[in-house]
Amino acid sequence: MRLRLRQRSSTGLGADDDLSRTDRVVRALLLLTALIPVLALLFLAAEMVNSAVPALVYAGGDLFTQQLFTFGNLYATAETVSHGIHAPLGAAYGALPFIVGTLLSSAIALAIAVPISVGAVLALVERVPRRFQPALSVFLELLAGIPSVAYGFWGILYFGPALAQHLYPALSRLGVVLPFMRGPVGAGEGLLTAAVILAVMIIPIIAATTRELVRTVPVLAKEGAVALGMTPYETARTVTLPFIRNGILAASVLGWARALGETMAVLMISGDLLNALPANIYSPFSTIAATIVDLLDSALTDPTGMAVHALAAIGLILLAITLATNLAGRVIIRRVTTGVLPVGRGI
Amino acid sequence: MVASAAALGVRPATHATQTAGPGMTVEDLRVRFDAREVLHGISAAFARGRITALIGPTGCGKTTLLRSLNRLHDGRPGARISGRVRLGEEDVYDARTNVRELRRRIGMLFQRPNPFPQSIRENVALAARIHGLWSRAEVPERTEKVLREVGLWDAVRDRLSSAPFALSGGQQQLLCLARALAVEPEVLLLDEPTSSLDPGSMSRIEELIAALRERMTVIIVTHNLQQAARVADEVCVLLDGSLVEQAPAAAFFRGPSDERSRAYVEGRIG
Ligand SMILES: Nc1ncnc2c1ncn2[C@@H]1O[C@H](COP(=O)(O)OP(=O)(O)OP(=O)(O)O)[C@@H](O)[C@H]1O
Ligand SMILES: [Mg+2]
Repeated sequence: MRLRLRQRSSTGLGADDDLSRTDRVVRALLLLTALIPVLALLFLAAEMVNSAVPALVYAGGDLFTQQLFTFGNLYATAETVSHGIHAPLGAAYGALPFIVGTLLSSAIALAIAVPISVGAVLALVERVPRRFQPALSVFLELLAGIPSVAYGFWGILYFGPALAQHLYPALSRLGVVLPFMRGPVGAGEGLLTAAVILAVMIIPIIAATTRELVRTVPVLAKEGAVALGMTPYETARTVTLPFIRNGILAASVLGWARALGETMAVLMISGDLLNALPANIYSPFSTIAATIVDLLDSALTDPTGMAVHALAAIGLILLAITLATNLAGRVIIRRVTTGVLPVGRGI
Repeated sequence: MVASAAALGVRPATHATQTAGPGMTVEDLRVRFDAREVLHGISAAFARGRITALIGPTGCGKTTLLRSLNRLHDGRPGARISGRVRLGEEDVYDARTNVRELRRRIGMLFQRPNPFPQSIRENVALAARIHGLWSRAEVPERTEKVLREVGLWDAVRDRLSSAPFALSGGQQQLLCLARALAVEPEVLLLDEPTSSLDPGSMSRIEELIAALRERMTVIIVTHNLQQAARVADEVCVLLDGSLVEQAPAAAFFRGPSDERSRAYVEGRIG
């Protein structure tokens, strides 16, 4: 280090020791800022594991297989003991419904959002005159900026009931082939309504990324298709989509992560079903994130502290799911990239 | 110095065969991009069954002219085209023209290879399938036939299902040619098709083009005068958006009759 600095000063570029010291400070600061996200994640994970451990030990495998989630009788003097851990009488921490609810709602949301985003972007980029596109971008960003509580309100007051009245009865006829689509359709609070709202929330994320991707597709590649007489739709299918497939996957993972962690809107629209799996796609349900918010108040009144540990445990599961989807997304993208098509690379 | 015809290797022009499909003509073709006119009233005939070389300095409008022939400017907002373009007797810009079919009949090869991000087989077969020329069952056989025709079969027979991007630039361009030939065009537009290729690939493509003359009308843009002399039957010289000379290749390379095209050929312009 010394040596390098000396050499630099001797080049006569005006680098004196004072500047080098500034350099060093700047470099240290940069290193620190680069480390902050890593440290934050490690600290968070460690803290979550730490406070989840008692509940993890108490519930054991039941955490992933049981449907009953209760803090027990917080006022009883008797306690339930499991695996050597003491908890309020009758406490049980089965998180299966939350895990299923989290995964299902976000997966359905993704299934709705991806085709709509990609289709809309293709239509817009190919069809709408260039000068209107900035306005559309602003619109997309506004959509992304709407607070989720507003979505929740809209969903529960208007959108959910409207869907339940007009769309779901028709959808439930699909129940003949897809049992999960079978009625009763309920009043509009439940899995599908939440998934639709989640889809609206993640469409801006996926659409904005897709739009940037579509712009990177070489014009020359598209003209090859056009010059062969292909329609815009055929051109999109033959050239544009294969080019941006990886990027769409990456954007979908981003959107999925957002849907997994979304709390407020889901809490308001879920119908908040505890201790049972959703019976059909319209049924009330609950997610991990919504449950944590919902139950935190009462958890804090547990004198044994086990309720908070239990919420930490399901929070840890959410963290694991989010990290796993991110990782899986990366693996998929890497696999596709090293596969047949160097998609995304220009020609 | 004007290169002599012999030095440039001019072959005597062969005459069109009866099966060669229609030629193309343009009359008073004007192309404007926004406020700027790029082609100022071009009239030319691209005779059936012949190879016409379109030459001229960079920016003179060769690509613009070529793309007017298959209506590739349609997607460019602000492009205004007037005058007549005909394929045989048909008006290319007539409102009733089926653009899809028109572009099938007029194939195009671009300056750089632009294969689809699809398998090699699909690169060849997709458009033919879409236009309903090949049935699904015919695909393997006809794909092979077209790939053999461009001399690519042996290089790709073992990797028909993989992507074309591992092929060399020359092979990719041959694949694009195969893709264009698969839909049985009547006219072939070539925009500097060999400018990004090595000499070997270049002469390979030139041979193919020469052989295609039997079946279709060929228009080739090139900056390479030797290439024009080698393959062309006709030469059109474009300067600054105007056609200054159209002449049989042999006569042209013996000595351009127009003073401006003489200046271009001698390297005094562009
Ligand atoms: N899409 C377009 N929008 C605006 N101007 C254009 C467009 N395409 C071409 N031009 C202009 O038209 C003129 C002719 O361009 P063109 O590409 O036809 O030239 P060219 O003869 O093919 O040149 P080169 O030999 O370099 O390929 C140029 O000045 C160019 O800037
Ligand atoms: Mg050009």
